[in-house]
Amino acid sequence: MNGTQAAGALLQVEDLRVAFAADGREIRAVDGLSYQVDAGRTLAIIGESGSGKTVGCRALMGLLPASAEVSGSARLRGTEMIGLSDSELRRHRGQDMAMIFQDPARSLNPTMRVGVQITEAIRAHRKVARSEAHVQAVELLRLVRIPAPERRFHEYPHQLSGGMRQRIMIAMALACRPKLLIADEATTALDVTTQAQIMELLLDLQAELGMALILISHDLGLAASYADEVIVMYAGKIVEQAPATRLFGAGGTVKMRYTRALLDAIPHLERTAHTELPVVSGRPPDPTALPAGCSFAPRCPAAADDCAAKTPPLTEHAPGHRWACWHPCENGVPA
Amino acid sequence: MAVPTPDALLATAAAPPLPSLVSTRRLRSQRIGRALRLWVPAGILLLLLAICFVLPLAVTMPSSTSGDIIYNNEAPFSPGHLLGTNVQGVDIFSQLVYGGQVAFEVAFSVTAIGMVIGVTLGVAAGYFGGWVDGVLSRLLDILIAFPALVLALVIAEGLGPSEVHVIWALSVFAVPAFGRISRGATTTVRGLPYVTAARLSGTRSWRIIGRHILPNIMPGIVTFSLLGVGVVIILEGALDFLGYGIPLPEASWGSMIAQGQQILTAQPEYVLIPSIVLLITVVALNTLGDALRERWGVQ
Amino acid sequence: MSAEATPAEPLLSARDLVQEFVVRERGGGRSGVVQAVSGVSFDVMAGETLGIVGETGSGKSTLARAVLQAPRPKAGTVVFRGTDLTRLRGGQLLQARRHMQFVFQDPFGSLDPKWRVRSIVEEPLTAYRSGNRDARRKRVDELLDLVGLDPARYARRHPRELSGGQAQRVAIARALALSPSLIICDEAVSSLDVLIQAQVLNLFEQLRRELNLSYLFIAHDLALVKQVSDRVAVMYLGKLCEVGPGELVYKTPLHPYTKALLDSIPSTEPGAARATATLRGEPPSPVNPPSGCRFRTRCPRAADQCAAEVPQPRELAPGHLVACHFPLTGGAPPGAAAAAQHAASALPGTAKAQG
Ligand SMILES: Nc1ncnc2c1ncn2[C@@H]1O[C@H](COP(=O)(O)OP(=O)(O)OP(=O)(O)O)[C@@H](O)[C@H]1O
Ligand SMILES: Nc1ncnc2c1ncn2[C@@H]1O[C@H](COP(=O)(O)OP(=O)(O)OP(=O)(O)O)[C@@H](O)[C@H]1O
Ligand code: SF4
Ligand SMILES: [Mg+2]
Ligand SMILES: [Mg+2]
Repeated sequence: MNGTQAAGALLQVEDLRVAFAADGREIRAVDGLSYQVDAGRTLAIIGESGSGKTVGCRALMGLLPASAEVSGSARLRGTEMIGLSDSELRRHRGQDMAMIFQDPARSLNPTMRVGVQITEAIRAHRKVARSEAHVQAVELLRLVRIPAPERRFHEYPHQLSGGMRQRIMIAMALACRPKLLIADEATTALDVTTQAQIMELLLDLQAELGMALILISHDLGLAASYADEVIVMYAGKIVEQAPATRLFGAGGTVKMRYTRALLDAIPHLERTAHTELPVVSGRPPDPTALPAGCSFAPRCPAAADDCAAKTPPLTEHAPGHRWACWHPCENGVPA
Repeated sequence: MAVPTPDALLATAAAPPLPSLVSTRRLRSQRIGRALRLWVPAGILLLLLAICFVLPLAVTMPSSTSGDIIYNNEAPFSPGHLLGTNVQGVDIFSQLVYGGQVAFEVAFSVTAIGMVIGVTLGVAAGYFGGWVDGVLSRLLDILIAFPALVLALVIAEGLGPSEVHVIWALSVFAVPAFGRISRGATTTVRGLPYVTAARLSGTRSWRIIGRHILPNIMPGIVTFSLLGVGVVIILEGALDFLGYGIPLPEASWGSMIAQGQQILTAQPEYVLIPSIVLLITVVALNTLGDALRERWGVQ
Repeated sequence: MSAEATPAEPLLSARDLVQEFVVRERGGGRSGVVQAVSGVSFDVMAGETLGIVGETGSGKSTLARAVLQAPRPKAGTVVFRGTDLTRLRGGQLLQARRHMQFVFQDPFGSLDPKWRVRSIVEEPLTAYRSGNRDARRKRVDELLDLVGLDPARYARRHPRELSGGQAQRVAIARALALSPSLIICDEAVSSLDVLIQAQVLNLFEQLRRELNLSYLFIAHDLALVKQVSDRVAVMYLGKLCEVGPGELVYKTPLHPYTKALLDSIPSTEPGAARATATLRGEPPSPVNPPSGCRFRTRCPRAADQCAAEVPQPRELAPGHLVACHFPLTGGAPPGAAAAAQHAASALPGTAKAQG
């Protein structure tokens, strides 16, 4: 799957690269990202902190600072998004694609009533009367399961709990019924019960609107339970990509050693207390000086000489399953 | 196999094999820009300080207080008078140099007094909170309520104009400024987990202040003090201008502007020259403060 | 181990802890009292780990700070190694507390960015004037070794030159400096990446085995708490609803809230029934908690009795306590029919077909 076929894909990303110029050095945040998402499907992007998940998605939205250089292609329903001017992008944002940001506290304006913020989001993209936008905003609040939406409409962000603020962010992202919704760690800050409520809500809406969903997370449990397709990123690159059913669960066949390490490191409810967790030492490479060869090689238990010498390509080894590793795990178990 | 350590990892990371996405020219200009933002204002200030304090020791300069009326209104670059002379025949360059000495002496003294007293009060108020904060904050509020210039005028009227009186008057304005800023910074740092950790590990208050609070608020205070030096130079100039600062005939930038202003239309350079020097000094101080703020990551 | 705490006696024994905060409503001048912790009792045995889980705002951190006497609780007692900390002041409290250390959530936030690793780890030794310079130096090297950091390489570094996991190791080394018998971990691994989190959890385990440490381990990740704990306490709105051995609490939860928490965990099994939102509604305000059982407004089993009477903790199985009028194995509540209906509506009907 090199991404050249599949004309039906809603979002088609090819060889996306992002680098920042910071303090006179180049930070390579995203390095050759290719994937596609179909309408009504969920893609999870997982990886350690700093692996480029957020930057890769912000590049699609045209929301990177001026210090970023972006190259490659990202077509949303056939329209190229990379290189569009700000005003062109603004037409697509909201209507065609929307993003829920990592930090709800900082994304809402503390001095404006939440209802007004949603109304403005609606009116920014569609010519509707204020009163009509008000009705729609209350409807959205109801949609994201906010109790007493008429009352909450008039409240300020600080009067709402963290879970409610996150739902306001979702309501704003949904204001124009986007075709693609990117949820960047949208539930990480929440506790399990609220997280479950919000994920249910997103799935319902997805079914209702035929929306494509990109879930950014470092929670593999979340990815396993809710995604159709999973991308694992390390140091700006995709290192493994497969349908969720292929990677997770009893019959899972994880190939890339980094994915394996991520999976093994999570404490499971099934584990007996006080048992040792399998660990990987070291830390991700410095993004200003990525190593030659496989970037995971310095931490990989199976690394050999070829790993440090040549970069393993991301190739489709089994139907729908791509991985980039010279010495993959056998049958998903560490060798 | 041996477990690779992060350091081994950093060692292997030494050779970046990938072609750059960001142009080297952009990276280089970013590096150069960063260096320039720091060293240009720093260089200008060092040069000004050297001219004001070192040059007079090295060469004999014409008097800055009196001149020969015969040689009045000399044009710049005339022999013996680098920037010419004024109406009374006093050498303008000498006036600038000795006026600069006064300006920097006053500014540094005021900033030092403000810093020592203000930071002490501010840190005590911010760290101990409660009634200590109540009392000290009221005190700082009272000081802030005095308009600095008016107070300086009153002092000059009462005690007569002199450099020392100018310093005391302007300190009244500097102390609460430093007090406020260090109180705010202290309250922020005090709430950070490492201070809580130190307290719970049994570290005494004075040690926490000396070893945790002060080192962490100092970068902010130092960048603020650079801006403060600039403000004090302007205020000192204003006092001189109004005739309540450094008593004549001693040279000062403010009195140079005041004298020149009387013949502004005929000979604008008498106002322009000291004003430009004053401007350059203050801008250099501000940009140096900004550059340090950028380096030290002060908000 | 200490002489005061014999194995039969708990190392730490908290009784009826109450902590309240007066808050002023923003804008208006009306003030209320946040009942952050309302009558919590628990024991921690020597060498044992007690895990505490609960939603955000349920009072976990407040409870931990009440144990540390920072700030001192409004009411209740904290007996640690035979001394009641709530009666001590100043130097006495400091001495009593030296065997109780803590590890914070944010590894970088809890290390002074201006200090080097060596001074950070040495700080409690200096504060308690323990040994001379050379002895302290040796002790710091020992401690760094213990947490898996080579002193020759790391002692002179600043926190910014460390990874998150290494920074948290330094914080742990500092906590171990005075040879404590209890370590309080408030979300000590929550901000770490899964890979680093696993390293730190393994370190906690190793220290528990080697030094016979006890932990009070607070987190909102249930699987994580299970991994490290012998016993688990579940907290809701300032009260403990259930305490018991980890295996029991997770396998046969007695409190409806514990069950709801467990049901909300996303499973790593794709295609299996999706985690469903079993808890409806928002948690009530701690300024004005519901009468009777604080969980009743969101509880599928709630009945009239729940609004009228505060449920007291009852021991339904050995060591397994629950504060609920109608615990999950204690027979059906009076309104069983309604509850069953409610439960059915919460079943995975909304689960999406797997692609
Ligand atoms: N504006 C920026 N300037 C310079 N570097 C940046 C900028 N934004 C991000 N980066 C760098 O890009 C890399 C990728 O960051 P990104 O935010 O995409 O990580 P992430 O995978 O989303 O991590 P997290 O899980 O912590 O959110 C990081 O090394 C980061 O430091
Ligand atoms: N200093 C304070 N002043 C006022 N209210 C407070 C204060 N500290 C805590 N609270 C309130 O007490 C309640 C319990 O807070 P606490 O921080 O203990 O919760 P928590 O269980 O640790 O939550 P989290 O999982 O988010 O850390 C909350 O409602 C909180 O708003
Ligand atoms: S006491 Fe009543 S309301 Fe509380 S948890 Fe038990 S059944 Fe639910
Ligand atoms: Mg991110
Ligand atoms: Mg907490």
